[in-house]
Amino acid sequence: MKHFLQRSAVFVFVLFLSYRVMAQTAVTGKILGENNQPLENATVQLKGSKKVVLSATDGSFQLEGGSKEKKILVSFTGYETQEIPVPSNGIISITLKRDNRQLEEVIITGYSTQSRKFIAGSIVSVNASSIKDIPAAGFNQLLQGKAAGVQVTSNSGVPGGGITFRVRGNNSINASVDPLYVIDGVFVSSSDPVQTSMGNQQQSNPLADINPNDIESIQILKDANATAIYGSLGANGVILVTTKRGRLNSSAKININAYHGWSNAPKKFQVTNGPETALLANEAAYNTAIDNGQDPSAIVLPFPKADTLPTYDRINDLFRTGNTSNYELSAQGGSEKSTYYVGLGYLKQQSIVKPSNFERYSARLNYDTYLSRRLKVGTSINITRTWRNVSSNDNNPQGVINSALFVRSYLPVYNPNGSYAKYGSFDNHLALINNLNNNAVGWRSIGNIYGEYVILPELKFRTSWSVDRTDEYENNYANTLISAGVATNGSAASYQTKNQVLTNEQVLTYIKSFGSGRKHAINALIGNTLNSVLTEGTTATGTGFPSNNFTAISSAATRSGSSSRSEAKLVSFFGKASYTFDNKYTIDGSLRADGSSKFGVNNRWGYFPSGGLTWRASQEEFVKNLNWFDELKFRGSIGLSGNQNGIGAYAAQGLWSAGANYLDNPGDAPTQLANPDLTWETTRQADVGVEFAILNNKLNVIVDYYNKYTYDLLLNVPVPLRSGFASYLQNYGAVRNKGVEITLHSDNINTKEFRWTTDFNIAFNNNKIEKLASDIALGASGRNISILRQGYSVNSFQLYKQLYVDPETGNAVYDDVDKSGTITSADRQIVGNALPRYTGGLTNNLSYKNFDLGFFFYFQQGNKIMNMNDFFLVHGGTQRNIGFVPRQLERWQHPGDITDIPRMTTYSGDPTINGGSANNYGGSVASLSSRYLEDGSFIRLRTITLSYSLPSSVLRNVKLTNLRVYVQASNLFTITKYKGLDPEVSSQSANQNTAGYDWATVPQPRTIQAGINLSF
Amino acid sequence: MKPLNKIIKGIAMLWMLSAFVSCKKYLTEIPNNAVPSTAAITDAGTARAAIIGAYDGLQNYYASNYPTLGTITADNVVFNGTLSQYLQLDQNAIPTDNVTTVAAYQGIYSMINTANSVIAFVPSVNDPLLTNDEKNKILGEAYFIRAIGYFDLGRGWGGVQLQLKPTTDLSALKGIKRSTLDETYDQVLADLVQAEQLLPEDAKTRNRAQKSTARALRARLHLYRKQWADAEAYASQVISNTKYSLVKPYGAFFTAPFLSNESVLELTFSANDRNSYWNLWYPSSFGGQFTLKPSAGIVDKLNNTDIGGARKSLIAGSGNSVYGVLYNTYATSTDPAYLIRIAELYLIRAEARAQQNNLQGALEDLDAVRQRADVAKSTAVTKAQVIQAIEDENSVEFAFEAHRWFDLVRTGRAGEVLGLTNKDFWLFPIPYQDILSDPDVTQNPGY
Repeated sequence: MKHFLQRSAVFVFVLFLSYRVMAQTAVTGKILGENNQPLENATVQLKGSKKVVLSATDGSFQLEGGSKEKKILVSFTGYETQEIPVPSNGIISITLKRDNRQLEEVIITGYSTQSRKFIAGSIVSVNASSIKDIPAAGFNQLLQGKAAGVQVTSNSGVPGGGITFRVRGNNSINASVDPLYVIDGVFVSSSDPVQTSMGNQQQSNPLADINPNDIESIQILKDANATAIYGSLGANGVILVTTKRGRLNSSAKININAYHGWSNAPKKFQVTNGPETALLANEAAYNTAIDNGQDPSAIVLPFPKADTLPTYDRINDLFRTGNTSNYELSAQGGSEKSTYYVGLGYLKQQSIVKPSNFERYSARLNYDTYLSRRLKVGTSINITRTWRNVSSNDNNPQGVINSALFVRSYLPVYNPNGSYAKYGSFDNHLALINNLNNNAVGWRSIGNIYGEYVILPELKFRTSWSVDRTDEYENNYANTLISAGVATNGSAASYQTKNQVLTNEQVLTYIKSFGSGRKHAINALIGNTLNSVLTEGTTATGTGFPSNNFTAISSAATRSGSSSRSEAKLVSFFGKASYTFDNKYTIDGSLRADGSSKFGVNNRWGYFPSGGLTWRASQEEFVKNLNWFDELKFRGSIGLSGNQNGIGAYAAQGLWSAGANYLDNPGDAPTQLANPDLTWETTRQADVGVEFAILNNKLNVIVDYYNKYTYDLLLNVPVPLRSGFASYLQNYGAVRNKGVEITLHSDNINTKEFRWTTDFNIAFNNNKIEKLASDIALGASGRNISILRQGYSVNSFQLYKQLYVDPETGNAVYDDVDKSGTITSADRQIVGNALPRYTGGLTNNLSYKNFDLGFFFYFQQGNKIMNMNDFFLVHGGTQRNIGFVPRQLERWQHPGDITDIPRMTTYSGDPTINGGSANNYGGSVASLSSRYLEDGSFIRLRTITLSYSLPSSVLRNVKLTNLRVYVQASNLFTITKYKGLDPEVSSQSANQNTAGYDWATVPQPRTIQAGINLSF
Repeated sequence: MKPLNKIIKGIAMLWMLSAFVSCKKYLTEIPNNAVPSTAAITDAGTARAAIIGAYDGLQNYYASNYPTLGTITADNVVFNGTLSQYLQLDQNAIPTDNVTTVAAYQGIYSMINTANSVIAFVPSVNDPLLTNDEKNKILGEAYFIRAIGYFDLGRGWGGVQLQLKPTTDLSALKGIKRSTLDETYDQVLADLVQAEQLLPEDAKTRNRAQKSTARALRARLHLYRKQWADAEAYASQVISNTKYSLVKPYGAFFTAPFLSNESVLELTFSANDRNSYWNLWYPSSFGGQFTLKPSAGIVDKLNNTDIGGARKSLIAGSGNSVYGVLYNTYATSTDPAYLIRIAELYLIRAEARAQQNNLQGALEDLDAVRQRADVAKSTAVTKAQVIQAIEDENSVEFAFEAHRWFDLVRTGRAGEVLGLTNKDFWLFPIPYQDILSDPDVTQNPGY
């Protein structure tokens, strides 16, 4: 160690000397890219020296210590590095030559980096700049429409709320379909820590704990060749996130970002007014009496004076203009030996439906330092505090939206004595808005330390130790003014949830080129991983409070508590190698072995190989001679990856679980059947792709075809209930996803002052269940509207298909599938599914001088939405405590009426008669009619942004490197046939197999924002 | 440089090595709130925990699902809520995936599986702490619990598949077809015979099975099977036990502290083991959902001093918002589930006696129940009148317990009284999931 210090000291001293000696001349200049665009942050280095400077926004730089004998090296990502002699006057203008931008980047793959041109896998890179400033909390949400083959849907418009994220379709049925998120090498948890019940809606997006502004780039690994190295964790794709780090020898750069946004609902719920509601109720009562054979003159209508009824507006009480504020401060830079990035962020976002809020404080420190020339250590630390004011909606009758939407509009909001009026099973919406007290505070710490040691120039050893820890602390108090607290004189619950992921990794990397002209290149690695996932929770509840001023459980009369714990572990060994010949041909392969504690003792270990081939045809003479292609690459790969997420930590064990108590004695009962053979579900994926650039690199195209076959599904196979169990987890079943992805990047116009680029991507996916033990029906609180059936895609809807409403009788007629002449449960059929046929995005960026205009469309086509609001609120009179939506007014009234809404009635005669009035809203069909299923396709202007950057001449005078102001609109308009509030919705998202429901859900907000970015 | 190099290499090697060696241990994880099913019943403690688990299963389906199935389907209770599973039951148009019927069916079989495990494994437990008496008691309770499970399945769904062995793997299920209702009831009888032999009897226990509890259920079973003499005999055995009596006032049995002399079997709930069934009965001003509402007909009867008498205490409120208060612990959610009350044994014996033309004896029993409710003696004279009077009495006496629907189906009167003339709908449907997953099951006709 002493020796090492001495050497270092000498080294620094020599450097210092050389700096002093040669500081006579300074080189100043400007670095320009294609079409003479100034390049910011290009690296300028004196050859043979360690001194590096970065160019400013206008491309200018100043480098001390130049002399005529020296050369300077100028490099910039995506451009060819140039070596230029220092001119005598020390002033220089350098124009870098553009390399094949799409194809040249070095990208991060599993456990290593590789030049894109040699990669056989299908990997999408998303640069952070393309997702900046969008007012959404989670970076994963921002990827919507930005990467082909990645389907992202916000489940609701609640800030920080859950999202659906799928890479190349749903691979699984009971195991997780969420990808693996790896942030700076840390496997991060994407399990939702919020315990407060939300009515089957996923409560939060755990990735909203990461400040998107700290992110440098995101790589999405899609095919088996890219994901197999993640073995049993990789089948659903891998999202690799790299956060910002400083650069060696760069001066401090400080960034300030701030924006404020105003959001509202483009469309609000509508209900019938008082007189309309009464009219409909009267009509239902009258028709029912007729159906029951009563004398029309003897019928007593419930509302003899329907048109005198008042109307109480509840809907407008729900909505507000939601404010979003975001402030960020970051600093980055580096000395000779170490680099740093420090980022602080604050975001506060109000939901457009009262009273939900989301708030986040985030802090990040990334630090790397060379202890010696061979040994580098570093750390990445992210600490976040989030706060949510949780408000339950969706399938919860005592949620805010339900309490306003479902209650009949002629009923007063307040009782005569001024107290909140409540009807049926619904709460009072204002009572909820004013009294909901559900605080969820999350602390998330993601930390990593690593050491990297260069054993030989081509051989590197890296060890990394990471922790991802989430602590969610929820305190809910229902006071005596809301239904949940009235009976018990106040009711409180407190949840403390801990998720902890520990990962340790060792990787040995070997990279070498050899042979004449370095024709042979080898890139290889081996490594191991130890991973443990621990989930612990403590719950306390209390009821009976002295008054509403007491909200702590310690003040409750009756208290109880519980705790839980589960832990799963994974041991992995992996290796990967690729060999490139003559920059033309690359062959690579990888293998990973995983042992998991979740599986049966007989089948604990799984092996995941992959292989790929790349041919850069553009390097071949005959292709070069065509003079068409600036780049042309073919690649193909095949491999296996696995999935073990989403099942319980002890899923393979036969268990009797405690808690089955009686008479305050402890009891237990069988809860799970043993399956000692339980093992991974495996995804075999083949991918072929072609990438090319034509027209002087103006047009870049990537096309992929993939075919993914997932077998040995971890399936909760329904078993006969007489077994005492509802299901049995076994490896059974198969799902196939196949599809095509197309990505285009085009530089349409590129002049000195005006630039226009277009990015377009579209992905088609076809999902099909190839093998299933038996149908599995689920969803909508036991109504079984969703079904999994062999031969159909997941997320299919099964309903009674309404053929028409008989113009003569006004009764609905359904498709009699089994031709039995009656309507029974056998006549339910699959009438659509919630998966889009294709999704995509279209981004245009135009810049003129210092102005930039960007607009981004997202679209999806072919998915259906089950409109549960219509299901409940077009009830034909059967629900005495529920109002109506205007669609009910379209009901059949007189012979000859053509409509799809049948005649009002609550008649309950023989429920099997097709075209009988019992089945209009009740009976066998029980309103499970296809008339409530709608097309959910849409195209939406997701964002449009206009920004202005101050010219560098002005900036220099105020000592700034960048000043940009912008205005942006999100979700400005949406084109859709869907008649609900918003087609981007999934209210039952707590279960991946019940997608596509719209059920008293907060719609996507429309936001106008103004912001500023400042650097100095 | 070299020492550092070596140290790092050494650490790496050591890591790899230790990882390999300790893999197996590292990958063994066990839960802390469950035991392997192979070690579920091995000693006194686990045997006791298992029978408690079986009682918990009984609680699970009697807390709300089964009483709902026995009431809203008939004429004393109407749907007043928003949850469509209750509307379906009220309209007697029950889809195969009706949440309440599925939950009850699943809950019963889950309980039976626990009871089967006790019956299979407790006899071989060899633990000095488990005396022979206690072993017999546990086994007797398991037989009783299985009996009531199959009885409740039989009267709800008809003859069902008889699972008599614990499910340790799925192969045990194969080939078991639905039995006839008679076969199901035969199994109930066989279990009750065992239970009666094995169970103890003391002077105070009302919330666990005793000899008298088995006899009471047996009286009910014979009643359902129209075996009048047996029904009378077993009812008499229970009535003659001084442990039980008709309590006065009527409201005493559902007022805390519970476990009144009225109860032959009631399941106790507590602050840590709650029953929030009141929530379905109480209006939202109390924090309830008011899904289950007393019908206008039963409200009239209960308010009539000649019919309801003291049973008026089953309802509260006025006008359009009269609500049932049999389950009334809205602050604490500790209402018991009432399974067998001594009043039922009187009415069983009354009906059995009337059917055997002992009208005098029948009226004595009927009037015992009426007098307790401060209602005058019955004026019924003919056999038909007496039987009708007993049916009416049952309806009022057990207005909000799991009786009315099953009585009307048992006596074949559901068509006349409820207008439900299609007898197919007198049975609940076998759950949709079982139709999909079980090749051995057949659906009830009409579904």
